[in-house]
Amino acid sequence: MSTRARIDAGELLISLVLLALGSFVAFETQGIAETQGYAQVGPRLFPYLIGTGLMLCGAWLAWQALSGGWRAMPDEAETHAAPDRMGFLLISAGVVLHMVLIGWAGFILASTLLFVLVARGFGSKKPVRDLGIAVVLSTIVYFLFTRGLGLSLPAGPFGG
Amino acid sequence: METLNALFSGFAVALSLQNLFLGFVGVTLGTAVGVLPGVGPALTVALLLPATAGFDPTGALIMFAGIYYGAMFGGSTTSILLNTPGESATIVTAMEGNMMAKRGRAGAALATSAIGSFVAGTIGTVLLTFVSPFAVDVALKFGPAEYFSVMVLAFVTVSAVLGASPARGLAALFLGLTIGLIGLDSQTGQARFTLGVPELLDGLDIVVVAVGLFAVGETLYVATYLNRGADIIEQMKGSIWMSKEDWKRSWKPWLRGTALGFPFGCIPAGGAEIPTFLSYATEKKLSKHADEFGKGAIEGVAGPEAANNASASGTLMPLLTLGLPTTATAAIILAAFQQYGLQPGPLLFDTQPELIWGLIASMYIGNVILLALNLPLVGVWVKLLAIPRPLLYAGILIFATMGAYGIRNSWFDLALLYGIGLLGFVMRRYDIPVAPVLVGLILGPLSEQQFRRALAISQGDLSIFVTQPISATVLAITVLVVIVPQAWRLVRRMQANAIGHHSPI
Repeated sequence: MSTRARIDAGELLISLVLLALGSFVAFETQGIAETQGYAQVGPRLFPYLIGTGLMLCGAWLAWQALSGGWRAMPDEAETHAAPDRMGFLLISAGVVLHMVLIGWAGFILASTLLFVLVARGFGSKKPVRDLGIAVVLSTIVYFLFTRGLGLSLPAGPFGG
Repeated sequence: METLNALFSGFAVALSLQNLFLGFVGVTLGTAVGVLPGVGPALTVALLLPATAGFDPTGALIMFAGIYYGAMFGGSTTSILLNTPGESATIVTAMEGNMMAKRGRAGAALATSAIGSFVAGTIGTVLLTFVSPFAVDVALKFGPAEYFSVMVLAFVTVSAVLGASPARGLAALFLGLTIGLIGLDSQTGQARFTLGVPELLDGLDIVVVAVGLFAVGETLYVATYLNRGADIIEQMKGSIWMSKEDWKRSWKPWLRGTALGFPFGCIPAGGAEIPTFLSYATEKKLSKHADEFGKGAIEGVAGPEAANNASASGTLMPLLTLGLPTTATAAIILAAFQQYGLQPGPLLFDTQPELIWGLIASMYIGNVILLALNLPLVGVWVKLLAIPRPLLYAGILIFATMGAYGIRNSWFDLALLYGIGLLGFVMRRYDIPVAPVLVGLILGPLSEQQFRRALAISQGDLSIFVTQPISATVLAITVLVVIVPQAWRLVRRMQANAIGHHSPI
């Protein structure tokens, strides 16, 4: 096992988040009214156990992070060397805008925008082609699922 | 005899025009989606779950079984031609099959994989047919304590025993269990961890979680870290018909792979990963062409592919007879049952025999359809591989968001989808396994229910879990599967130290 000199901030942060989440679960459990019945255990026991489990895993991983890094990690330093942040942001924007838009702009418009943004996020340099495919695909999917399979999707301003 | 009668009535159900059609559609859709690079069987079944919603339970599940088999097959095609395994079980196929394709033997690799899948799938289904009734007899003896113990075994094997790191596996399991807590407590009806949000009262839908982790998380990860250069697709060279020599070298690996895959699928051992590697190692040892391994040996594709598919049939045994999912894909199939208010288990064989036996019969038919459909249509599947990456992932996200939104037409599910997508991104980045999350999410509430029922019977006496013989045995096995590998490692290390510092293996 190779030991690294530096502590990986991400590993430590995730460990601490798990620890915090576990504490939160255990803390919130106190707010659940206890009704025991015959079983002698009510709705509190499992949340307590699970919260404790999370805390233990968080502590275990934090210890690993501080003592040479998480164990048996694949060697992906090269892969992670140059993250494409723009790609990440464009795809995130696509999904979030889709959530905001779908209610009033309808499925077809929201999905078209999503498609174009995700394609751009993957470095597509052909926005017109993407737009064309997006409109056709969203329309086909919309009619296939609403007419053919009985799913209900919002039509938006052009529907009816 | 009873089993045969049940199976025949199952065929009567499966051979109805509607169900035959649904099985056909399922296999086709499953293959088409499963063949897309980056889309593994678990994501395929999660993405296509909404497509089955409009049918009666039997028809929907028959279609779903077709999707499952199709997705498995599609994944192998991608592995061979693209060398991008969709999941850990096809790593070996990706390695050896891709080398065959590089040497211009793509056709033979695809053929041995398809026919091997057919052989393994059919034998697996025969075994499922005739072993299930016995498993049901055993399962009928199960009380809440036994169910709880079996679930604990599944938790432990999926998270702590398999995979690179027990710490990360257990963290993923507890994360899934935590997500499973959200919603109304099944026994008392109290809201737990809903944070006052009414949308959370029903809990998180497994489709949202699976699609968020696999589709959104994976898309973000690939765009951020892996989007460099185009994939190399191997050309479809070589006849898709196998030569006499190929047959001679394939049939034994098919059977051995099946023999390894099915039992491993039945036990909670994380699905097809172990049997595919075991099959590869076995074939390498037994082959007269051992020197070809690593350069494209047909046995190295035939054996593991058969093991992969046999294990897929094996996985259905604990799923149908106990309601116990042992892989991420099985967890989503269980969700498909639950969407109709059905809980797989021994009672379902009694109350819904047409459904269960119709489903099993449809698997025989599905295997035939797969074989008939796939070899001739392989050219079409190859074209799907050539879809440029930007369009591919953009399309996947349209289906992902539609699946999440379509559940109850709420923007809230899309917010959850993105949040879980971010989680999936981080998990992928830091090599935290995803399957324990899904198994924990779906088995968590069930295990709590069984635990509390068991204690209600024993009036709060915890010893019920160790005084009942079956439950005690299962818990003992659980302890063994944790301790034995650790102890073995320790012994190896001590031996290595004793001999001197020779590196093990």
